[in-house]
Amino acid sequence: MSFVTVVFRGLIRRRTRTTLTLLGISIGIAAVVALVGLSRGLNKSWAAGMRARGTDVVVSNMTSSLVPKPFNATVRDRIAHLPHIAATCSLLVDLMSVENTEMIMVSGREWGGFTWANLKLISGRMPNDAQEKAVVLGRTAADVLKKKVGDPIQIETAELKVVGIVDGNAWVENGSVILSLPLLQEITDDQDRINVIDVRLTPGTSRADVQSLCEQINQLVPEARAIVASENLNQSEISRIVGAMSWSTSLLAVLVGVLGVMNTMLMNVFERTPEICVLLALGWKRRRIVELVLWESAILGLLGGIIGVFIGVAGVRLLGATPSIRGLLEPDIGIRLLAVSVAIAILVGVVSGLYPAWRSSRVTPSQALHG
Amino acid sequence: MQPLLRSNQSATTDRVLENPVSNAFEAVGLKKDFDDGAVQALRSLDLQIPEGEFIAITGPSGCGKTTLLQLLGALDRPTAGTLAFRGVSIPDLPDPSAYRSQEIGFVFQSFHLLPTFTALENVQIPMLETRMPSAKRRDRARELLKSVGLERRLNHFPSKLSGGERQRVAIARSLANNPSVLLADEPTGNLDSDNAVMILDLLTKIQQEKRMTLVLVTHDDRVAHRAARIIHMIDGHAVSDRQTGNGVCQ
Ligand SMILES: Nc1ncnc2c1ncn2[C@@H]1O[C@H](COP(=O)(O)OP(=O)(O)OP(=O)(O)O)[C@@H](O)[C@H]1O
Ligand SMILES: [Mg+2]
Repeated sequence: MSFVTVVFRGLIRRRTRTTLTLLGISIGIAAVVALVGLSRGLNKSWAAGMRARGTDVVVSNMTSSLVPKPFNATVRDRIAHLPHIAATCSLLVDLMSVENTEMIMVSGREWGGFTWANLKLISGRMPNDAQEKAVVLGRTAADVLKKKVGDPIQIETAELKVVGIVDGNAWVENGSVILSLPLLQEITDDQDRINVIDVRLTPGTSRADVQSLCEQINQLVPEARAIVASENLNQSEISRIVGAMSWSTSLLAVLVGVLGVMNTMLMNVFERTPEICVLLALGWKRRRIVELVLWESAILGLLGGIIGVFIGVAGVRLLGATPSIRGLLEPDIGIRLLAVSVAIAILVGVVSGLYPAWRSSRVTPSQALHG
Repeated sequence: MQPLLRSNQSATTDRVLENPVSNAFEAVGLKKDFDDGAVQALRSLDLQIPEGEFIAITGPSGCGKTTLLQLLGALDRPTAGTLAFRGVSIPDLPDPSAYRSQEIGFVFQSFHLLPTFTALENVQIPMLETRMPSAKRRDRARELLKSVGLERRLNHFPSKLSGGERQRVAIARSLANNPSVLLADEPTGNLDSDNAVMILDLLTKIQQEKRMTLVLVTHDDRVAHRAARIIHMIDGHAVSDRQTGNGVCQ
């Protein structure tokens, strides 16, 4: 037997209490893993999508909701002449309910624009022209919608046909229904509306030039903002909101975990005051008792963290497999996020143990032993 | 570590011979108040307990017996007066827990075993504060339990042991770090008479074999008469102090 045995005996003493506490922390940690993983996934998929479309700068307005705010198609003409711009491609991107799928990315692209170029046909063909009532599906989108080449597909009230399945080399691209911009504008009855302009720069444009180009665009087009694709979405409003929301929700969950562990450890200390007195009478140092309490709560944190990471990963997997999320964003759960989450959990344990440990060090050994 | 207090541990038996008149404990004008003086548990107690003596402390409930044991064991501090162990002031010990760990073994009326640990583990608890390797700790605990006749109860939890067995585990535990003093507070108070006799026999035997200082608190005169000396307390004072004739011939 060793000191560690004493720590674990303390924890299994009140099994139900320990289990419930572990559940509390692990749910908090699961929330951290899931929310941060999803929000980072959102950023990463957007950035990867831009790169896959061959975009260097994106002009859009992401301040309000999950999809960019629409603006007039003429915005493109106001910026196309700027220096260093090699090509532009207008898009209308929206999250729509298509047939049985609640939310899927529908991407209308300027016919002949460069964003079509990176789509690799897996089967079928591309639309013949801008007017053909046809779409191509990203591979995941085809999966989610359960469509193959030749199947009819209904978007809003329009009857279209799936003519091809493509690999877009990025999660968002593969999760999209892709069609020509005029067709989508016609379907949504919004002839002059677009909400994204993908910009390709002339090769060799310096960072400073990119920066000043973005500033020029922002001045010319107050209704949208230019974002450099290589910097991921961190600066965008939407990612900031999602990031802040996920971290603050996580923080709340972690706080609940702290209170749970603290409550449990305080109860343990109060309940075991007579035992603490006995330990002191047997020659244990107060510092040992403090260590005992801190180790117990740190182990609670560690176990809660490990369980939480498993719940979080499982939860995100499950969520990612649901048709409404699948193809929209790819959760980004790296080993680092998991390690940080477990570290947070251990910290939660230690911090929550501080006050109970202090209480345990105030025990007067004589009191419980009278009589 | 307290080198001051750790006089050549392996030679416990020689201690008395080296200096036959040395006192383990010496108290002068010892006072202990509780609740800001509302309760006077000890009022000016003078006391000398020689090394290796078996001394019983008797007296009515509330006269301050437990309080005295706790002061001897450095679990509490006196309000006034002096109290020394081998000439060193107990309230001024820099590390009371080291003193308890190395010199003092406690035995309580209600055993105070830790319920989530087996007999073998309970005996090892005090050894966790020493540098003894874990295999050695286990061996020593096993030997101690064997010496109190519990070699077949090693892995029982306290709840599965009888009162007498629990107290024997507690005695084994009090001996874990080979202390020079045993402080026993009503060790037979919760036991039937057969078990009480057994525990007393055991304590007496240990005290004589190891020449330990044994301070035993009891209500029971028959128990007290096992000791070499009986101090009777009333109301925080020692009112009588007599030799019983036990032990002097040994
Ligand atoms: N922590 C405390 N706070 C206040 N009063 C206390 C405290 N501990 C003991 N006392 C009081 O001090 C007096 C002596 O108590 P003590 O426990 O030493 O008596 P005792 O001789 O051991 O009695 P018993 O035979 O019943 O165990 C009692 O009046 C008791 O109520
Ligand atoms: Mg008492």
